[in-house]
Amino acid sequence: MSYALLKRSLITDLDTVAARYPDVPRLIILKTDVQRRGVFYADAALELLDETLHQTTGTHIFGARDGKTAVRPESLLLRDGTSIITTPTPQEDDPYVVDVLDGDAWLFDNGTPVEPVDYWPAPAYYAKKSRSGVPMKHIVSARPQRLNIFPYRYCTFWNNAKGCAFCDIVVQLKKGRDLLNIPAKLDPVEVGEVIGEALKEQGRFSTIFLTSGSITSGERPFDDEVDYFIALLKEVGKNFRTHKYPSQMIGTAFEKEQLKRLYDKTGLTSYTSDLEVLDEGLFNRYCPGKREWIGYKEWKRRLVDAVDVFGYGRVNTGLVAGIELAGPHGFQSEDLALERTLSEAEDLARQGVSTVFIVWSPRPDTPLGKYKNASLDYYIRLARGLHQLRIKYRLPIDHDSYRNCGNHPDTDLSRILPLWESEL
Amino acid sequence: MTGELLQRVGGLLAEAGTIATIATIDEHGAPQSVPTPFLQLDEAGRLVHLELLETSSTHRNLLGSIWFDRPVSVTLSGRNDEVLVISGRVYKALVSGLRFSRFYRKVRSQLGDADLAAVWLIEPLKIHDETYQVRKAQEETFHPFYFHLDRLVIHRDSI
Repeated sequence: MSYALLKRSLITDLDTVAARYPDVPRLIILKTDVQRRGVFYADAALELLDETLHQTTGTHIFGARDGKTAVRPESLLLRDGTSIITTPTPQEDDPYVVDVLDGDAWLFDNGTPVEPVDYWPAPAYYAKKSRSGVPMKHIVSARPQRLNIFPYRYCTFWNNAKGCAFCDIVVQLKKGRDLLNIPAKLDPVEVGEVIGEALKEQGRFSTIFLTSGSITSGERPFDDEVDYFIALLKEVGKNFRTHKYPSQMIGTAFEKEQLKRLYDKTGLTSYTSDLEVLDEGLFNRYCPGKREWIGYKEWKRRLVDAVDVFGYGRVNTGLVAGIELAGPHGFQSEDLALERTLSEAEDLARQGVSTVFIVWSPRPDTPLGKYKNASLDYYIRLARGLHQLRIKYRLPIDHDSYRNCGNHPDTDLSRILPLWESEL
Repeated sequence: MTGELLQRVGGLLAEAGTIATIATIDEHGAPQSVPTPFLQLDEAGRLVHLELLETSSTHRNLLGSIWFDRPVSVTLSGRNDEVLVISGRVYKALVSGLRFSRFYRKVRSQLGDADLAAVWLIEPLKIHDETYQVRKAQEETFHPFYFHLDRLVIHRDSI
């Protein structure tokens, strides 16, 4: 049966929801729902997996929803080039199933084929080892168009048990170290060399991405984190003929002097610092380390400061969307959560800071892991709301787009933001 | 759509001198037509359009097409006045992987320092032969009321 006929003949729950939002592409609604519910790979789908052709799980800083470390597809691509960054999920949690139809991988919902998907292609350098004998994919991992550097797989907020309530970075650090021999802290020179090897593949990568756990130490708090990022970015920069290169870093909310140092001394072109949740009370509860070292209002202020350094449309903050509704301390309704979140996002947007979200994947081994994430309608409304703020405040989001990240339904919508330069 | 017409599409695309244009519509329904110099037919019978710029109107319109099921069309004009118009639906955008990289290298080998935003695959749904002589013959056969009568007049001075 041809794809066109197949699509016409079946109506899924997804289509019912999609009918309520005719202005939002069905593919983006599907992506959001897959991120919300996770995926389960059928045996036939795993048989299609070829490690010489496809990326497999295991390289990421965060763990899988089913808590396992096994060879599975890293993530999926939809027909419009949209990435679905999702994790394997136990079947009893009602995930989408990836199975095979006519020889190709498809997403299935309750037995109904929904969309064909591609596994992320493996870059050429994945087959190689670094100078220290570590598989290069454990030094620098990849997305379809992005190179990921996770240089430090620990977060010092955990030193006094004040890590974020949704985060499993430390658990994953132990698994990565014990099962995959992934170094906890990377050598900047080795990182630069692996980036150089990756860039030999023409037409693959559009951006360099860097993130790690927070490092509180230094003359000023977080100076060591800034210095480490500078060392890394300088080594990465040795591969380029221009001082600046397309890049994004998710870091702690640094002071303005630290931001200037980071911008001036490296090729970094954008800056992201995640508030995680746009409500001070919930931020204090779920991000106690961030509260202790910086605080909600100061975090926001530093984001606004970063606009002066990196430029309008080059600074944003990320949300783990759904935690604001989780458990007894969350908002009592999705309407209230949406109102509060968009109101805070607008306060940032009017000052030049964009807000993006990821769909929260409740992970085992985290304090919030036992709760469920929000409804599909909620995520669609949130994506629409954040996209509309970018239109209202003329905020580009190229540095965190479907190409440069791929993890945000709201920035997928912003693929067709107005082109304000055409008005010049 | 017949296999014979699809073969003619492939034949036209193989000929040097064929001009290909792609027509898309924006969110307001306004049409836009631009040349598509790298157009080709793939082994699955889909048209392959290479889009060089992420922010081009055509790229954004093609995205709108795959998102909201808007039609697109491609026109091929051959050196011998043969014209084929293919209407279709956008099937897929390749943004990464071996096939994408092959096209990326092809673009750069021809244009120098150029980029490639996406490889768009378009599924042909209908092919119309819009070659003037073919359409003229059809119209005269099936719509004989649309002649200007002076074309039928007996020119006495030529008798």
